[in-house]
Amino acid sequence: MSETYNPLVVEHFARPRNVGRFAAGEDIIAASAGDPEQGVRFDLSARVKDDRIVALRFEVYGCPHCIAAGSLLSERLQGATQEQLRRWTWREAADELEFPPEKRGRLLVMEDAVHALAAEWQRRR
Amino acid sequence: MNTVKTIYLDYAATTPVDPRVADVMIECLRPSGEQGNPSSAGHDYGRRARALCEKARAQVAKAIGARPECIVWTSGATESDNLAIFGIARFNADRGRHLISSKTEHKAVIDPLKQLEREGFEVTWLKPAADGIVRPEQVQAALRADTQLVSLMHVNNEIGVVQDIAAVGALCRERGIAFHVDAAQSAGKLPLNVEAMNVDLLSLTAHKIYGPKGIGALYVRRKPPLGLKPLIYGGGQEFGLRSGTLATHQIVGMGLAFEIAERDRQQDVERIGALRDKLWAGIASIGDVELNGHPTDRVAGLLNISFRGVEGESLQFALRELAVSAGSACSSASEEASYVLRALGRSDQLAQSSLRFSLGRFTTAEQVETAIAAVKREVTRLRSYSPPATSEKKS
Repeated sequence: MSETYNPLVVEHFARPRNVGRFAAGEDIIAASAGDPEQGVRFDLSARVKDDRIVALRFEVYGCPHCIAAGSLLSERLQGATQEQLRRWTWREAADELEFPPEKRGRLLVMEDAVHALAAEWQRRR
Repeated sequence: MNTVKTIYLDYAATTPVDPRVADVMIECLRPSGEQGNPSSAGHDYGRRARALCEKARAQVAKAIGARPECIVWTSGATESDNLAIFGIARFNADRGRHLISSKTEHKAVIDPLKQLEREGFEVTWLKPAADGIVRPEQVQAALRADTQLVSLMHVNNEIGVVQDIAAVGALCRERGIAFHVDAAQSAGKLPLNVEAMNVDLLSLTAHKIYGPKGIGALYVRRKPPLGLKPLIYGGGQEFGLRSGTLATHQIVGMGLAFEIAERDRQQDVERIGALRDKLWAGIASIGDVELNGHPTDRVAGLLNISFRGVEGESLQFALRELAVSAGSACSSASEEASYVLRALGRSDQLAQSSLRFSLGRFTTAEQVETAIAAVKREVTRLRSYSPPATSEKKS
């Protein structure tokens, strides 16, 4: 148990942005990744238009850091291209949310979900 | 323990010191108190301190149906467990090197046994049923000609289930095998009688029964005498089993804590049991929650509950107005998904989705109502974030 969480984690944990999922549709892509042993699962769904994400929704099972990471991600990936999704790494969220080193494996799971979303997008094309 | 309005529901971790206990301890530490070394029999200071320690020894002994000379003061249940386990194993090493325990014991039992495994002893780790109970027949089946010790906790610290100590004790007694019981979680909550329960060694601590931290005791059967190798050598205090100057004020506190707990046990248990039932009814009404451990063979004040679709650390953080415990969880969920819940066959997911609520002497109905409302609010909120795959209903 982490004794403290940074203010950004506390803020996103209290009021996570963009929680939910889009109903399946032609312009909707979805992907998920989870690791029961690490106690984490991320489900992502995005509405895409042209070559960009216009809205992203997330659902998460996980610790406060993971909930905050999902929320932060949902903001940061607005407007992202497929290439940006592919290049996204866990470090972006780790630094901002001050992820404890022992929890970084959980962010790798989130990275897997983001990359799976990119792959699904590619497949749809 | 109501600082900053946080409602304390972690009595299984430790209890606040009862003010009556604190008073006698403080009295002991004042200039007018008993400052002598209880081992200094040559003067009044020492003899008066000794008298207080012996009074406390009798108080603790009485609470467990033992004779006072069977009580050995230690620093707490962890030391008592270590003394019992290493003491028996090492004293009898040339006669046999087999020990029996269970997978859901406290770490203070598991880790000494693991150390003995490294030293060449063999341990049979019994797996309790899904309800957390080790059946006496399992112990019977594991007993061997070279078995030296069976160690089984009375009440589990994470889930609160009660083991059938008397039945296991009878099996050991018939065969002359030493039987150790960690009773840290049962003292003051269940009747304890070392004779009726056929117990040879019983670990006790003060801080889970409204006494101070840093003091405990090991009951050691005297007749027939039990061979026990000490862990600590020095002045030969405590019948040579535990050297070190006795901490009079701590001992006095433990003595009174046990006296009060035993005297008030019935009414405490009834009141706390009713509050626990109220808490469970309130939480159960949320739905998709599971009580971990046997539904009725359990101690009054403890509930360990799995909340489907809600991760334990997040729920604990969301419930900051309550002091509760997220199992034995620490930093990385993988290893920390409670080994107790895992041993009961709970999935990683459900083990990670659990919280322990433990109530005690100072818990009020109002606190329980506040806790129910907070749990309902936060479980509902966190579930609304969860992927369907993690919150699938049992049905």
